[in-house]
Order: sequence, then structure tokens, then C-alpha cells
Amino acid sequence: MITVDEKKMEWHQGMTIRDVLDKVENVRFCAAVRLNGKLVSSPSFETTLIPDNAVIYILPLIAGG
Amino acid sequence: MADFTLKEIKTLEYVRPEIEKGYTDHSLHIDISSADIRINPVDKMVKEKFIGGKGYDLWFMWNSVTGKTRWNDPENAICIASGPLGGTPGYPGGGKSIVTTISPLTGIPIDSNVGGYFGPYIKFAGFDVLELTGKSDKELVVLVDGIESKIRIYEVSGLTDDSYELSMKLTDYFDKDKPVNISVVSTGSAAKHTELGCLNFTWFDAKRKRVRYKQAGRGGIGTVFAHKNIKAVVARWGTVSMKINNPADLEAMKTVTKLHAGEINTLDPKQNRMALVGTTHLVPIMNDHDCLPVNNFKYGQHPEAHNIGEAVYEHIFDKGFDGCWRGCAVACSHGVKDFVPFTGPYKGKKVFVDGPEYETVAGCGSNLGIFDPFFILEMNFYCDTYGLDTISIGTGIAFVMECFEMGLITREHTGGMDLSFGNRLNSLELLHQMARGEGFGVTVGKGIRKMKAIFARDFGADAAIMQDIGMESKGLEFSEYMTKESLAQQGGYGMALKGPQHDEAWLIFLDMVHNFMPTFENKAEALHWFPMFRTWFGLCGLCKLPWNDIVPEDNRQNPEPAKVMKHVGWYADFFSSITGRKVSPDDLIPMSEAVYNFQRLFNLKMGYGTREHDTLPYRSVGPVTVDEYLSRTERYDKDLTDNYNVDITGMEVSDKVAVLRKHRESRYEQLKDAVYKRRGWTENGIPTVETVKRLGIDFPDVMALLKTHGVE
Ligand code: SF4
Repeated sequence: MITVDEKKMEWHQGMTIRDVLDKVENVRFCAAVRLNGKLVSSPSFETTLIPDNAVIYILPLIAGG
Repeated sequence: MADFTLKEIKTLEYVRPEIEKGYTDHSLHIDISSADIRINPVDKMVKEKFIGGKGYDLWFMWNSVTGKTRWNDPENAICIASGPLGGTPGYPGGGKSIVTTISPLTGIPIDSNVGGYFGPYIKFAGFDVLELTGKSDKELVVLVDGIESKIRIYEVSGLTDDSYELSMKLTDYFDKDKPVNISVVSTGSAAKHTELGCLNFTWFDAKRKRVRYKQAGRGGIGTVFAHKNIKAVVARWGTVSMKINNPADLEAMKTVTKLHAGEINTLDPKQNRMALVGTTHLVPIMNDHDCLPVNNFKYGQHPEAHNIGEAVYEHIFDKGFDGCWRGCAVACSHGVKDFVPFTGPYKGKKVFVDGPEYETVAGCGSNLGIFDPFFILEMNFYCDTYGLDTISIGTGIAFVMECFEMGLITREHTGGMDLSFGNRLNSLELLHQMARGEGFGVTVGKGIRKMKAIFARDFGADAAIMQDIGMESKGLEFSEYMTKESLAQQGGYGMALKGPQHDEAWLIFLDMVHNFMPTFENKAEALHWFPMFRTWFGLCGLCKLPWNDIVPEDNRQNPEPAKVMKHVGWYADFFSSITGRKVSPDDLIPMSEAVYNFQRLFNLKMGYGTREHDTLPYRSVGPVTVDEYLSRTERYDKDLTDNYNVDITGMEVSDKVAVLRKHRESRYEQLKDAVYKRRGWTENGIPTVETVKRLGIDFPDVMALLKTHGVE
């Protein structure tokens, strides 16, 4: 089980950030997430594996300076 | 006992105008040449059309300067204003000052939105705007004392130029018992010898018992300040409460303040964690998306970038509350305690560094090919101490380094210094030279536009290549985002009124990463709405960060999440509650439009403000060199084949560079057409008669100016 924006989600072996985002609505503008406190940006969404019990926050649209 | 002398040369006792619904309705004008002090009521028309803050600054400057005024003429004004909402304690970002002057770099008005307590304190002392004109023979300190209702002008001798020490000494001098009552504006020694001088605005950090700084960095405002021979302007004020702005509806103001601050307290820890890391979270994100400037904007990524991002600075920043305005829940103005510089006059001594923010990290780090967080701290510290803009310094030195590596300049020109990318010691030495007014540092301190002319004229360097790689537009150095793959952001920089600073429009991600605005018209619409809304913060005395750096949890369900409409609604409520002028979110854009167009007209008045001045160096649009093309071959090949239908079979890379350039430059011109049309400007980028009439800024001198340019 993992936590995504404070909601529980089933975890499976080989799960990536992209797999998580595919299950969440309105994430078109997501360019970065925080996975267990560390930033992961969109170019790595397909390749970043999520460990079980991970805590993920979907960051808001990057707004710049 | 102070180790400097202040000799009072003028005192004016005044009846302090009370604040009514966010305004004092009075302006303060000080002519430094004659020590003349005037207090005037603000005209009702000015209040309605120009709102406050930057709007007021521009109006008073417009009336002080002529089209022939240059930055170092006595009539050039430095204006500082808060705004009707400025000075509200507890409202996130509720205490900014907006500073304007005619810039030595651009010749047109520059504006800077800065933290610290000065703007609010000046308002509490009775003035919606402070205008400084003239030039003094002797160094002066000006005190606006709202507690005693006195304005005092002093001649000063023996006071250091080093900004931190100067501010601490004046804070001590003017209110030793309650230093939090003092805010000092000053610059530093390098502002006297360069055109990149910034202003440091202080607030007193009661917990750490020291003055803290924010900078009005861009465009050389500190240089104008130093040239006028103003050593410091000091504001003094006492108690600050929620009632201070005498709001029209106190309860409504408290409600919206609580909502916005509460949301930030809850959501910032789950989102960008700005209360812990400031804006340094942007470093890895920009790097991962190929937008972090590396080696003079040549590349957008570097494997060592993680060394200078949030993961490192989170552990270096001193823990504690870091709001640059009272009670700002974002509290992102971090600093580093007990840093020990390894060069310069503070070598080996413990100092406090205010910063760094993203722009300083990228400008004085990655853009110089340096990925050392402590080197960046030292650049940050000396820029502040010497009164220099970290952005122009970073972008300027990056240009010099590329010129050096290309052989356009050599050790013969740099006083023997190796200025290759990555050279830490010599980058710092340039700053020390600027402070001492000697060596090659003085040339670098003139900014990129003038350096290009000097390198071509005196060193025989190739002007065309310098035009391509010198990252300035309108004479101002670029801030620190790579724009090659975002046409909208190229427009955001190229068509920004004051020059390429991201505070008008930051559209890279919407455009490049999310492809949210595929057509020219989509981009033009964004280049209308965002600059207008961002302008509004400067009219009201607010910081823009709380608008879109922390967003409501349900924001992503909104069809246009980038606008964060829930917050726009709160801002409308906030404005209504203080001023009593009932507004809806839709009313905020037209407020800004009048001031925005007026500033464009101001550029025109100063001899600029037309299409030819909205140009960009090609480095910001596409690959200048073969190397650069080859570093992203797949991307550029795809652009040529898919977007421009070019058959690239058998083409030399240099030919691909040339063909891509032709297409990308033409695309930028098409974007200009679309944006000018959307903004109600002529094809030459001048507001039409219809536009100025619609916005109510059809003053006789505006109409005469338009007529001179054939717009009737
Ligand atoms: S958000 Fe940051 S920069 Fe803006 S007012 Fe608050 S502390 Fe200052």
C-alpha cells in the first residue's frame, strides 16, 4: 500500500510514478512529485520505481519565479 | 558611540496624514540637490487610474523626467511605494515595496518588487509614495520618522559603504531600543563603479538580532542611488496591527487573511516546502527539464546540478522564521549563519548571508559552470555587501566566460585573469574589483550591452557572435531560465516592458512541458493575461509568490490551473475589504492594463518602446553553434522535419543551424504580431489611440507622444 496525496493506493511490484499518475484525475499539469521527500521530475516518471509504503505528493504546476 | 557623524541639514515637522482604506493620499518629494522637502496630496484621478505601488511610481516619474533625461541627470527620480494593500500583517506576501527609476542599463523605467519593511513603514509614516530627485555634493542620509512626524536630512561622514554594516549601524543609531522600528535602504561600494548596483532593503530579525536583506536588484537602481550621493534612506515606524490600513471592512479583511495564511500553513509542507527551502526546489526541477542555464545559457542541464539544489541548501539554511514581511506564512527568505568567506575583506570572518534564491544559484552557479553551494554563498554575500544585482552579475560573467573560451577576449584584456567557465577565484575577484573600482571588473560592471561594444571596438572581437551569445535584451541581462524550447517564454522575456525578467510572465512549463498553448493566439492570450495579473501585485504592494507557488488542493480540477482562480478571488476580496472599492476577479486585469500600457508609453517617451526593441539574442531562441545543435541533435532535427517540413537528408550541421534559425526567428516575429494585436498595439508595438482611450490614459502629453510616432 502507498499513500498518494494522503489517500491510500494499492501498490504492486514494478510500479512507476507514471502508473500512479494514470490512476489519478487531473494530472495533466504535473511536472514533479515528491516521493518519500525527494523530488522526481516528469522526464523520470516512467523509469522511477516506487517502493512499497511510499508516500507521494503530487506537486502543483511549476510556477517559476 | 557611533564611529560616523551625522550633521542635520534640514528638518521638516509635518502633520502625519492618516491612512484611510489603505491610502494616505499624500506623496513625499525630496530634492536631494537643495534638500527641499514637499508633501503633496495625491490627485483623485491618479488614485483611480494608477491604483498605487508601481502605478504611482511611474506617474510621478513621468512628470519628473523628459524624453531626454538620462539615468545620471539630477531630474531622474527614484520612486518607492507600497500600495493600498501593502503593510497588512499576516497576509501572505503583504508587505512589498516597488521601486522605479530610469535605468543606466536600459534608458527606460526599471521596476523592482522588493521585500523588507521600508515601503509599508513609509506609508505608515504618511506617504503612499516617496520620490527622490536631484544630486548632492555631499553624502546624505534621509530619515522619514513616522513616530515623531519628522523628516530629517543629514550630511554623513565616516560611515562604511558595506551594506550590512551600514544598515546595522543606522538601525542602532535611529532606534537602539526597538530596532524592529527601522528599515534602511542602501546600496554598496560597487554601485559607485558599475551600472549593476542594487538596493538593499532591510528588516530587523528580532529572533536572530540582526538586520536582514531583500534586494531591489534589477536594472542598476543602486547605481542611480549612489550617483545621487544618497548613502541611505531610513524609515521609522512603531506598532503594526491588522487595523493599520484602516480597512473599509476589517472583518472581511481578517477572514480572507486567515483563509490564505491558513491554506499556506497547511499546504506548503506538502507542496514546494518553501518555508524550508525557499525557491531552491526549482534548481533540480529546471535541470531535469533542461531549463537550468549552464555555461551562459548554452545548455539546460548538468549532472552536478543536484549539488546546488534544495537537497543541499535545506541543510545549510539557518532554521527559523524567514518572512520578509511580518507574519508572511510562506516565509521563504532564508539565510545562512556563520558562513566564512575565503576571499575579500571578510575572508576568514563569520558572516550571515541572506539567500541564495533560485536566481542567484542559477546565475552565479550553473551559468558559470560552477556547482559549489558555498561558492554561490560567497558570490551572494559579496553582491549584497557591495550592492550588486546577482542576476546581472551571473549572466554578465557567464557572457565574459564564453567570450574568453571562444578567444574573443584573452588574458591580455582581463588583466591576466583566466576567466574560463568554472573559475571560482577569478569570478569573485571580478566582484572585488567592482567594489574597488579597478581592473577588468569595472568593464564587466558596465553590463553586457556595453561590454559587447567595448570588446568589439577595443579588442576587435566579432560583434555578430557576441550579439548572439550576449544574453541581454533592451540592455538588461536575462534572468535565469533557458527559453530555447518555449516560444511563449521567449515572448515573456522579449516583450517584457523593462527587459528580460521573468516576473512579467513565466510560461515555460505551460508551453514547453505541457503544450497548453499550441497556437500563436493561445500564446498571445497568455502573454496578455499573465503580465497583467502579475502587474497587479506591484500596484497593490504585494508579493506574487503566495498566488501560485502554493495552490489549493482542488486547483488541478480547474480547466486553467495556472491562473489559480481561487486565489485571484481572494485577492479581489482582499482589495475590496481594504479599499472599499468592490471588485471581482475580472476587474483586476483592467486595473493593471492601464498602468502596463502607460509603462510601454513611458518607454516610447524615452526613445524606445517599439518593435525593434523587443528583440532577443539568438541564444535564447535556438542553438547558436554547431556544438549546441549537436548536444540536442534529436530535438532540433525533429523540429526541422516535423514543424518546418525541412528535408534534412545529407544536410551539414552548420546548414541545419542556419535553417533552424531562419524558422525560429520568423516564428518569434509572428508571435510579436499576435501579442501586439491582443494587447491593442500597432504592428510597431505602440498602444493605439483606441487602447489608450479605453484605458483612460489619453492624457494630452500621451496623445501628443503618439502623434509624434504617427499613431493617430
Ligand atoms: S512569500 Fe517569501 S518573498 Fe514573498 S513576502 Fe513572503 S517571505 Fe517575502
